[in-house]
Amino acid sequence: MSKLARVTLSQFLTYRGGQPMLAWLLHRIAGIGIVLFVGMHVLAAFFLYGVTGGTANTVANALTEFYESRPMQIFILFAVLYHGINGLRIVVLDMWPGLHRFHREAMWLQWAVFLPIFLIPAFLIALGIKIG
Amino acid sequence: MKVKVKVRRFNPEKDHRPYWGEYQLEAQPTDRVLDLLVYIKGYIDGTLTFRRSCAHGICGSDAMVINGRNRLACKELVKDVGRTIVIEPLRGLPVIKDLAVDMEPFFRKYRSILPFLINDEPPPYTERLQSPEARERFDDTTKCILCAACTTSCPSFWANDSYLGPAAIVQAHRFIFDDRDRGAQARLAILAEADGVWRCRTIYNCVDACPREIDITRAIGEVKKLLLVE
Repeated sequence: MSKLARVTLSQFLTYRGGQPMLAWLLHRIAGIGIVLFVGMHVLAAFFLYGVTGGTANTVANALTEFYESRPMQIFILFAVLYHGINGLRIVVLDMWPGLHRFHREAMWLQWAVFLPIFLIPAFLIALGIKIG
Repeated sequence: MKVKVKVRRFNPEKDHRPYWGEYQLEAQPTDRVLDLLVYIKGYIDGTLTFRRSCAHGICGSDAMVINGRNRLACKELVKDVGRTIVIEPLRGLPVIKDLAVDMEPFFRKYRSILPFLINDEPPPYTERLQSPEARERFDDTTKCILCAACTTSCPSFWANDSYLGPAAIVQAHRFIFDDRDRGAQARLAILAEADGVWRCRTIYNCVDACPREIDITRAIGEVKKLLLVE
């Protein structure tokens, strides 16, 4: 007895929680993404200004090149916007529990706000178009 | 209609790991998933183990994962789940055998929030009267049947089994907002701990899983807000 209490990753991923569970997963991924981005930024600055020597410069340049690449810029744009907007949805629902019965509508509203704000700049970044 | 039922089987006394038992059977669209399990046990494989009692959605014995979602087998109709039905035990609780899980960790959490009326005032000569409006305040959370479908659908509970879980919080809500009860402070102290309400991440799996359609996240939100205000 008392076996198999731990939930495996495949059990976790195959639970059909629907859109709210997906939103929670994306929120986590976006949060981790932001931490990694800021971490890389700090690390690159440290290697560039805090350590002398050719290897430190190479590491700093490699890190900077990575987080300034287009896919990474689009990912960070996604992470910051999604984490912020989804966080706001949760704050609003938590502050006014009576609104929880509209949580599905809140999710659609969130996508309606997020998608244009994300897609238009992401498209411009992908095409390499600079404004101003 | 022909249906294929896949059941995640596991007997800890002889199996090293779980395996899928597959059964083909004839079913009516209006049959319940529980009817299929009863048929399999009665006519195909008597070793299949699952829990059931009232079979009418009241006792909460037959909660299980049906096609990837926590449901009561006695409330799910074949026409709603399709011709291939995948059944697994509830996640996050130890498997006793096949679909029967050990509910003790779940009930331990239920008991921890003091799920009974606390009132040391001398009892009145007649009953403790309550207005319909005061009763309405916690009506939703009185519907809980302790089936564990909500708690075992919660990723926060999967990640940390010390989390009280939605069912225990719903039960606490039922007494905290009851104006005849005087034990709210004791319950709020338990719910304010690290493994209390703050582990809820507003994922809504519990709301979807609840067979009694309790607005669980709202109840948890009301307790969170009360803790903030208090």
